[in-house]
Amino acid sequence: MTTGETLGEFLGRQGVSRRAFLKFCSAMASMMALPAASVSALADALEQARRPSVIWLSFQECTGCTEALTRSNTPSIEGLIFDFISLDYHHTLQAASGAAAEAAREEAMHENAGQYLLLVDGSIPSVKAYSTIAGISNLDMLKDSAAGAAAIIAIGTCAAYGGLPKAAPNPTGAMSVEEIITDRPIVNIPGCPPLPLAITGLIAHYLTMGSMPELDRLGRPLAFYGENIHDRCYRRPFYDRGLFAETFDDEGARRGWCLYKLGCKAPETYNACAQVKWNQGTSFPIQSGHGCIGCSEPNFWDKGGIYDSVAMGQFGSGPKIAVAASVGAVAGAGAALLARDKKHKTETKMHSDE
Amino acid sequence: MTLLDFARGPAIHWSLIIMATGTIWRLLGVLVLTRGADLSRPRDAFGNFKGYRTVFSRAWPSGEFTTATRYQTAMAYVFHLATLVVVIGIVPHIEFITRLTGASWPGLPNAAGVGAGVLALASLFALIARRVSKPAVYCSTWGDYLSWVLMAAPLVTGLMAFAHLGPRYETMLAIHILSAALLFAWFPFGKLMHAFWFVFSRAQSGVAYAHKGVRI
Amino acid sequence: MSSVAVPKRIFPTFDQVFQGFASQIGMLREMAPPPSLPETVRVRRAIDTLIAETNADEAVWLESCIRCGQCTNACHFFQATGETKYAPLRKMNLYRRVYQRELGPFRWWYRLVLSPIKLSDLEELQELVYDSCSECGRCTMVCPMGIDIASLVHHQRSALVAAELVPPELAALRMEQLHRGTVFGASAETLRRVVDTIREQAGIEIPLDRERAEVMVLSSAVDLVGNCQGLLATGKVMNHLGVDWTLCSDGFESANFGLLSGDMALWKKQVDPIVAAARRIGAKTLVIAECGHAYPALRWNPMLKGGDLPFEMMYMSEFLGRQAKAGRLKLTPIEGRITYHDPCKTGRRGGAFDEPRALLKAMDADFVEMPANREFNWCCGGGAGIFLLERATHLRDASFRIKMQQVDATGAETVVVSCASCRLNFESGRQKNHWGTRVESLVELVAEHLGDEPHTGRVMPIRGEAA
Repeated sequence: MTTGETLGEFLGRQGVSRRAFLKFCSAMASMMALPAASVSALADALEQARRPSVIWLSFQECTGCTEALTRSNTPSIEGLIFDFISLDYHHTLQAASGAAAEAAREEAMHENAGQYLLLVDGSIPSVKAYSTIAGISNLDMLKDSAAGAAAIIAIGTCAAYGGLPKAAPNPTGAMSVEEIITDRPIVNIPGCPPLPLAITGLIAHYLTMGSMPELDRLGRPLAFYGENIHDRCYRRPFYDRGLFAETFDDEGARRGWCLYKLGCKAPETYNACAQVKWNQGTSFPIQSGHGCIGCSEPNFWDKGGIYDSVAMGQFGSGPKIAVAASVGAVAGAGAALLARDKKHKTETKMHSDE
Repeated sequence: MTLLDFARGPAIHWSLIIMATGTIWRLLGVLVLTRGADLSRPRDAFGNFKGYRTVFSRAWPSGEFTTATRYQTAMAYVFHLATLVVVIGIVPHIEFITRLTGASWPGLPNAAGVGAGVLALASLFALIARRVSKPAVYCSTWGDYLSWVLMAAPLVTGLMAFAHLGPRYETMLAIHILSAALLFAWFPFGKLMHAFWFVFSRAQSGVAYAHKGVRI
Repeated sequence: MSSVAVPKRIFPTFDQVFQGFASQIGMLREMAPPPSLPETVRVRRAIDTLIAETNADEAVWLESCIRCGQCTNACHFFQATGETKYAPLRKMNLYRRVYQRELGPFRWWYRLVLSPIKLSDLEELQELVYDSCSECGRCTMVCPMGIDIASLVHHQRSALVAAELVPPELAALRMEQLHRGTVFGASAETLRRVVDTIREQAGIEIPLDRERAEVMVLSSAVDLVGNCQGLLATGKVMNHLGVDWTLCSDGFESANFGLLSGDMALWKKQVDPIVAAARRIGAKTLVIAECGHAYPALRWNPMLKGGDLPFEMMYMSEFLGRQAKAGRLKLTPIEGRITYHDPCKTGRRGGAFDEPRALLKAMDADFVEMPANREFNWCCGGGAGIFLLERATHLRDASFRIKMQQVDATGAETVVVSCASCRLNFESGRQKNHWGTRVESLVELVAEHLGDEPHTGRVMPIRGEAA
């Protein structure tokens, strides 16, 4: 269903000024670490881009990722770019359902074989019965849809790393996209939810460059996930000065001190929250007074408590160490008593030798 | 399981188990041995108790040896105090101890922690330089060098993690925690145990000499 | 030379005594018994000895060493030679190996990684614990852990006794004392002869074998076969004080080659008759002759329950010093600057610091302490039997230079010692280095400076420090 309209024409039709568009392009360019001179080239390329066909599959997910992208209170260019793509299948957003919806998906897959982008949110249960759509298991649908995709974008931590459904004890045997599909280019846009700009930014990059951007070792675009939140946090000076909120309602919390001791995971979390922020740059979790929970990192649910600071050892218990100490006490005292015995026997032997 | 999860989880846990077991094993294995009795009459009746002051007085060399031991005393003091500041002054370390023991106290600004870490490391290098350059004096064993390496490693990795040098922060943090785990695990087996022995060793000599009316 | 005002000399001067001793010591080496037991038995016995002698104290000390090397600053043998093997911390390595393999808390592990002790290890140990350690304890003064290395060395001497690895000179004297009960042939007969000579030649009565006496005095082989001047001086001073005293021919020998060699059984064998004699005569005080190691052998003997004994044990300098402190011993002034050398065994390892100084004060001496004095005194290098070892000559001579510097720093013309071993070693060093400083024995010095009025009444022995 790729139409002839370019993104420039589309945005113009939506009343987006050239100025606002260039501003978006500058932001994109800086996020992607492109030189300033390339902004106009980026803008030109974006303006000329044709609508790509996109199939969006939702598996074990909460729709939060879609919500984050679509529920802006004012239309953003991010949102509009999302509108621009030819979203041929998205079962939360589409009007059709059941056989009609599946027919639309299959049609898009046939018409654009090898061309379409496959967006996935939610993790895939390896036990097929746990989640099906129109009688098709998530696992089968993913394999089927991935076969003809130009690239796959795993949106949200569930799709990227398994997320909440994969948290221990992982009853559904949840898996991430990259654990199942190994023969297609996959880009992870983790986060719970991910930054909308990261999603559209990736799409914009794909539209202009025709390729996927540089990724980190966890398959995330370096442009958005290359930096540690702690390093970019506006509360960092308080960390350096040793000023910490000890509870959520103490003086330190009111004065906006560092949330490290309240379990902020920013030091081990890579995301652009601190620069890009949320809701049109209004705020981000740390700014609102809650520590980062590290939602864009694999297995963040299973890395100890949300309110345990990064430095805390994740061992179950002191009791084990106390048991170990008792074992040591018994062994030590036993060794000494045996040694006493040996000493006395030696003394006796020496006396009898004389 | 990421490296950090491993370091923060099983690695540090097992190292603490080894440290607790080994330390108590070695302490009791020695202290439960028989005590020899000195039956001779002490020089003055309660004089032996004066011997216990050696536990404290030996913290500083006597005037006779001030000059000869100056370099080492200074460096050893800098090292021990700076390391203490690093261990109990830096917030992540306090957080670690809090998780383990429940106790908590205010930390130092990072700059102070880094300063102490650099001092500790510098003094450690000053000590090893002397040890290496005067083999006749030190009679070093492989255990001495191992103890040094295992002591220096957490300082180096800790400073690197703080400065975000080398690998990514969480990897560096994991390496730092692993290096500390190795130090904990080695603690009961090498000379680091002098952290406990010094009390008994000094007290014994202090009492033995005080028995004869000699203040050491 | 060494006399200040003795008009008539009956016995040879001390440098002549020293010459005589040197030749006697030379003969000892030929008298040493060869090892008789099979190698494995000797090694086993050495290990068993260490096992039997190791208590928690020794274990803690062996565990505590951090090899900080500071003890090298304190050791005269290391300082004099700079040789790494003489570093005090090395002198406990073999003991630690035995301890770790046999008794330590992790012995099951150390038995896998540490090689067993061989006879050659023990042979190497001999030089470390006999030749190059006078058990002076100076290293303990600097050790940040306060390790009593000297006591650990002593246990290793015991182990070498069991392994028949005592150096020949000490072995010969140990065998002589063990089997004949004499040292350098000084028997009860010798004692009687010397007492007679002193009475006849100097007119000084030395009471021998009186049935009851307040004070029992010991002599020593050095006094009896060489420097009879010492016993003469003792008699002079005791009689001057009017003390009710005696020597006992069945317990007169201060020297204890059980202690020096590390033979605990011989140690006890030597001590028992002395204690028995003192009990028999009802002595209240036992005065130990100026023979340094006799002080720890008797006064600080850990096997001898001091509180149960009816008498108090004192070193000669202690006894005389207490008399002087109490004003009972008036001495005439002495000319020239004087310094005092604390023998390791009576000083740092005995605690008799104040009494000898009180005597010098009583002589109104221009007394100057050495730069390192009292607890920090440098050993002369001849203690714990080292003076007798020919092989240790270079070590002794080298370390004596430290002592000379110490004495020279005071500007003293005379250095006073209160130990026959120290005195012999000082004499040896004085002659080898053509050193101008006079070396005096404390008791002989006192005898030469007795005030005019001898006491006539009975002098009660003085108990306790407060006296």
